[in-house]
Amino acid sequence: MLLKILRYCRGYVGFTVSGKYPERFLNITARKNIRLWDVQRKDDGFTACMYRSDYRRIRPYARGAGVRLRVGIKRGLPTVIGRYRGRVGLVIGACAFILAVFVMSLFIWSIDITGLDTVSRTRMLDDLRDHGLYIGAFKPAIDSGQVAREIMLEQKEIGWMAVNITGSYASVEIKEEAPAPEVEDISTPCNIKAKSDGQILRIEAMEGETKITEGSGVIKGQLIVSGVRTGEQGASRLVHAQARVYALTKREASFSVPAVSKSLVPNGETAVRKSLLLFGLRIPYRFGAVHSPYSVTSQVVRSPSPLGITLPVGVVNETVSALEYNECELDNNSAQELLTREAQLYEAFSLSDCTVEDREYTLDISDNVYTLHVTYTCVEDIAYQDPIGTDENTDLTPRIVPTEGDE
Amino acid sequence: MKDKQKEKRRASALPVLNEPCIELSGNREILIEGGRGVLEYTDEAVRVNTDSMILTVAGRGLNLKCISDSALIISGFITSLRFEA
Repeated sequence: MLLKILRYCRGYVGFTVSGKYPERFLNITARKNIRLWDVQRKDDGFTACMYRSDYRRIRPYARGAGVRLRVGIKRGLPTVIGRYRGRVGLVIGACAFILAVFVMSLFIWSIDITGLDTVSRTRMLDDLRDHGLYIGAFKPAIDSGQVAREIMLEQKEIGWMAVNITGSYASVEIKEEAPAPEVEDISTPCNIKAKSDGQILRIEAMEGETKITEGSGVIKGQLIVSGVRTGEQGASRLVHAQARVYALTKREASFSVPAVSKSLVPNGETAVRKSLLLFGLRIPYRFGAVHSPYSVTSQVVRSPSPLGITLPVGVVNETVSALEYNECELDNNSAQELLTREAQLYEAFSLSDCTVEDREYTLDISDNVYTLHVTYTCVEDIAYQDPIGTDENTDLTPRIVPTEGDE
Repeated sequence: MKDKQKEKRRASALPVLNEPCIELSGNREILIEGGRGVLEYTDEAVRVNTDSMILTVAGRGLNLKCISDSALIISGFITSLRFEA
């Protein structure tokens, strides 16, 4: 292989020798230190290869040996250079290409992040950018180990992280920190009390003494299940009371909206801006603007992704929509509809842990403000644990020392 | 005593140094060092002149893989070697 490379670099010719005594030619060339290889016999002579530089000086020897030489092939670097000597542009283009490939390999072209679960990809990309890793970053300036270490220290959600740079492709592998499971306290003595007023429907007591019967009403903070247990012999001890107390409760909420409201709405005027994304650099080539001082912009980045790798080139389309203030007056129906929707959202998010049995809506207007009062009738668990106030699970039973004669 | 041994050794080595060195790789390739020229070259036989004898390599599809002033390599299917004084 090495020999082939050397021969290619020096350049060689394949030629045919024909004549009466071709062996004589072989001997003369050997004596003159001219190396021949791949000598193959033909009908009236043979074919062989020799270095391009040697071929220039064998003509007199060939004449002396009485043979004729005919060049068949010319191979090697000098031949290629000679062929393209007149085409300077081609050589410059080839050099520019090699230079461009070399220069481009010094930058990060693509970043791939795997293992994200709760942390958003955008946030991670921003963090990586803050630490010098972004599309278009100069590769030799990036210390991948340090980037990973610093981000791991800053972001508590990340348990393990590795940044691997292969060529111009950065692969970021992340394992998020597993949250420590909550350890339920089952030893601290406590009572179960009501966290809101209501009528008890059902009590599921796992530990402790129930003090309230089902069907009775309770007020906020009232003791329902006691953490002080009294045994058959009158001995008391503190326990960690556990119970679920389902009660019928009332909840009230009110939502308001002004009768005349002012809001920003799109007025239909749009403008498009386009820019070319090249290795992290944005070059705008189409400009657009709207007349309104208020606007909202949506952005779409289109980048080619061959083999799932997003290339650092693309087109960014920005659509700017003009906004203007619009004054609208609400009537009863639209106010009711708007506020009911708000009440439904409140119900979905704030009352998610209770079952709504019934709801009553009342709409009124005062000082140009519509207000919707909603009363919810819910079934919910109103139990909360209230610690008794000792540090230890103290046995409150008075110690009775057995005396002689007692049975 | 030592001088005699040295002389003996020199006497036995000298003829060998003047002879061509032949190295065979199976029957596919033969390297001949110390050849003085090719007398005949065909597909079936290559006759190489050395100072003391003529070496004939017979076979099928014989090629001169490389030829220089000091050595030549013949490749092909070699069937026999003949030495002519």
